[in-house]
Amino acid sequence: MNPHLCLNPCPKLRPRQHNNNRIRVRGPLTRKSFSLKTVFPLLLSVSFLLPIFYSSASACAAQYGGQLILATTSDPKSFNEITAKETSTSLVTDLIFEGLTTTNAFTTKVEPNLAKSWDISEDGLIWTFHLREDVRWNDGQPFTADDVVFTFNKLIYNPDIPSSARDIFTIDDKTFTVEKVDDHTVRFVLPVKFAPFLRGMGQAILPKHKLEEIVAQGRFNFTWGIDTDPKEIVGTGPFNLVRYDPGQRLVFERNPYYWKKSIEGGPLPYLEKIIYLIVQSTDVGLLKFMEGTLDGYALRGMDYPMIKPLEKKGNFTVYDLGPDMGSQFLFFNQNPGKNPNSGEYFVAPYKLAWFTDREFRKAVAHAIDKQKIIEIVNNKLGYPQSSTMGSAAGFFYNPDVAEYDYDLDKAKTILREAGFVDRDGDGVIEGPRGGRVEFSLYTNAGSTDRVDIASIIRQDLERLGMKVNFRALEFNTLVSQLTSSFQWEAVILGLTGGIEPHFGKNVWMSSGQLHMWYPMQEKPATDWEKRIDEIFTQGVQELDENKRKVLYDEYQRIVAEELPIIYTVLSARLYAVRDKFGNLKPTSYGGVFHNPEELYIKEESR
Amino acid sequence: MWRYAFKRLLVAVPMLLGIALLTFVLMRISPGNYLDTVRMDPQFSKETIARYEQLYQLDKPLFYQYVQWVKNLLRLELGYSFYYNVPVYKIIGERIWNTFVLSLAAFLLTWCVAIPLGIWAALNRNRFADRAIQFFSCIALSLPSFFLGMILLFWASQTGMLPLGGMHSPDYESFGWPGRLVDLLKHLAIPAVALSIGSIAALQRIMRGNMLEVLGQKYILTAHAKGLSQRRVVYHHALRNAINPLITLLGYEFSSLLSGAALIEIICGWPGLGSLMLTAVRSKDVYLVMASMMMGGVLFIIGNLLADIALAKADPRIRYD
Repeated sequence: MNPHLCLNPCPKLRPRQHNNNRIRVRGPLTRKSFSLKTVFPLLLSVSFLLPIFYSSASACAAQYGGQLILATTSDPKSFNEITAKETSTSLVTDLIFEGLTTTNAFTTKVEPNLAKSWDISEDGLIWTFHLREDVRWNDGQPFTADDVVFTFNKLIYNPDIPSSARDIFTIDDKTFTVEKVDDHTVRFVLPVKFAPFLRGMGQAILPKHKLEEIVAQGRFNFTWGIDTDPKEIVGTGPFNLVRYDPGQRLVFERNPYYWKKSIEGGPLPYLEKIIYLIVQSTDVGLLKFMEGTLDGYALRGMDYPMIKPLEKKGNFTVYDLGPDMGSQFLFFNQNPGKNPNSGEYFVAPYKLAWFTDREFRKAVAHAIDKQKIIEIVNNKLGYPQSSTMGSAAGFFYNPDVAEYDYDLDKAKTILREAGFVDRDGDGVIEGPRGGRVEFSLYTNAGSTDRVDIASIIRQDLERLGMKVNFRALEFNTLVSQLTSSFQWEAVILGLTGGIEPHFGKNVWMSSGQLHMWYPMQEKPATDWEKRIDEIFTQGVQELDENKRKVLYDEYQRIVAEELPIIYTVLSARLYAVRDKFGNLKPTSYGGVFHNPEELYIKEESR
Repeated sequence: MWRYAFKRLLVAVPMLLGIALLTFVLMRISPGNYLDTVRMDPQFSKETIARYEQLYQLDKPLFYQYVQWVKNLLRLELGYSFYYNVPVYKIIGERIWNTFVLSLAAFLLTWCVAIPLGIWAALNRNRFADRAIQFFSCIALSLPSFFLGMILLFWASQTGMLPLGGMHSPDYESFGWPGRLVDLLKHLAIPAVALSIGSIAALQRIMRGNMLEVLGQKYILTAHAKGLSQRRVVYHHALRNAINPLITLLGYEFSSLLSGAALIEIICGWPGLGSLMLTAVRSKDVYLVMASMMMGGVLFIIGNLLADIALAKADPRIRYD
């Protein structure tokens, strides 16, 4: 029994800020579940806030024990944090592993985690991290600088181990120098200034004593797969994996060696267990939540009208966490290249002339009925998106960008002025230099949302006098067209966003392989693409956050002005949670369960 | 007979290798490969993707990959899954068993209910019982099994009488073996019923048809004329002849034991092969798909062989040598 405040004034959270713009494949039966973020103990402003909370909320006791039962739609693919390639793995690894820094779930600022502090040299290239001395691996071994050096030099920078972490921590083919100063001090020497460095230090640290031999034998790529005995998976995080039944459940138990303390100095976490049931069907997951098996469930827009009225009766609350990070957008092929084998143009030159015409894209943007999409696709629970960084991005989000209201008359005027007129009276407009405005629009068949969005957009484009041939393709086919054959005309896709703009550089820099409308340019095709390249090059070297923001604000303005990607809507993130948890503090960035070690089960629900 | 069986098994080897080659070629000529999802992730550079290609030997020619795979097969290795980075057998081992348990339960339920039902319907031809059975069969046949599964799950969530999906309760380990069996049966009930309702309806109709045809034969009339009891006529003379075509069907059913339950497995959260294989095909996890194709192929061959042998046992007119 440990006395604790109901309202915890100042919790912090760490950055597991991986993927700024990852393509999401969302099939009818799959659904992204919110990942748990781990939290940091309270360092600042507690003394200032405490009296207020003592007076306004009666202190109640946080109790140890109990369990949290949640659902996930798919099995983890691996427990290997370094070689993992997708999110069902980070659901597990986020609970087990931690990095030197973390992102605050409320402010999205970077904060200390396994490192208690750090110093930066004047030129911004040498970073010295002072590690906490009270951290132990969950098998009882002490955590030291050796583990950090091992994680970087032997795992991330190991040429035989493919990982995306290596790409994050490599700048212009140059790696960081990582060295141990003493047992609890690590020095990073960067080749050039790198603004996202501190956030990147949320990179999970892995135990040297468990993995050294395995790496030496060259077996690391096939280590910590799903067939591993959970006891072998050793981390510093609040929970340990104790059991994995494929297709059924993941069971985590509290890590008795966990270093973080409650504000009274008692051990954390409070919960004894976290259980993830693997429930592939979202409908069955909902039934399980209603029945009381699950403590929390991510709702779809369509579930909301049915679930919301049952809050009282079912003893739960539906939290609206604001817009999702993931965007859905339309873009046109602006690639002037030819197929090197057949000599054919990727896009017929007369069509390329439309797609590269900004006025054409503007007219299309005015024809996108975001309200209708929100009503039909998101069941009225969505947000129109204008800026390329969604509002969930927090600090770097620029709300002040060009917006395109739904106005077909305006769209028609823009088209007419740009020379798109129906000259032969067949109901379909022709381009300024002739040619019926007819093109194909693709999306991936696995996403019903995108298929619905595509049909709404198509209707409106046809009202503008365009002929749109819509096809839903298998995801792999679509990817092949986007990344290797380049033979497509218009596509609707989605990417998940993040709070660090630089991690979108593969999409936004003209040389990037995901610069989808015209990838891998040798030099920027347009002036505005050149400017975005400059912004990203400068932004990554600018260590002053406010100066960085000015740069990335400009990039968001340019994207909204030039419309290489025409955004649609962001869906609302809805989460239903049973009313039995103390310290539950949902945030837009962290989700509902970002602080699993602080959650406890309230007295009256026991 | 045994020579015949041996010959059949010998022919199976090139057949399986043919299936494997065909699968390989089909997986390759359809667009994209396993790394497409990674390719769409801005966090991965071209160099990292190239490293993965090397690791998985995706940069090697198709024929080389096939020969490597066959070589491994001779050593009884099924290769590594791209998706999971572990040997294929470790992923599918337990799941094969789970799917087998579910399919077997559905299979037993189907045959134990459908055969007597078919006989009964035939004996009561055009009477009320027969009409009722045929009416409900029509409904059962037109109900998709996954829909039925959803309805049953909804019913279970309302009444709380059966668990909502899964294969074991969380505290399964703490039960003794009778408790474990009860727990398993409880979890089996919904998926097995959802799977077998449609097949019961179909099989029952076949059985009824066969039975009616045989009952119209002259030798049945003769048997009645000899003064044999109705019971003896039906079970000794009619049934043995009527069941012949069903034995062939049994062989086919055997081959679908591991593949017929994917949708129900997904809906009922049964930890079987279904969804694993679905994702494997969609994400082009070649060796995982190969393993499932091989299992399907082997079961098909064995199932047919068993059916042929059983046919010979049941019908003395059939000879293979």
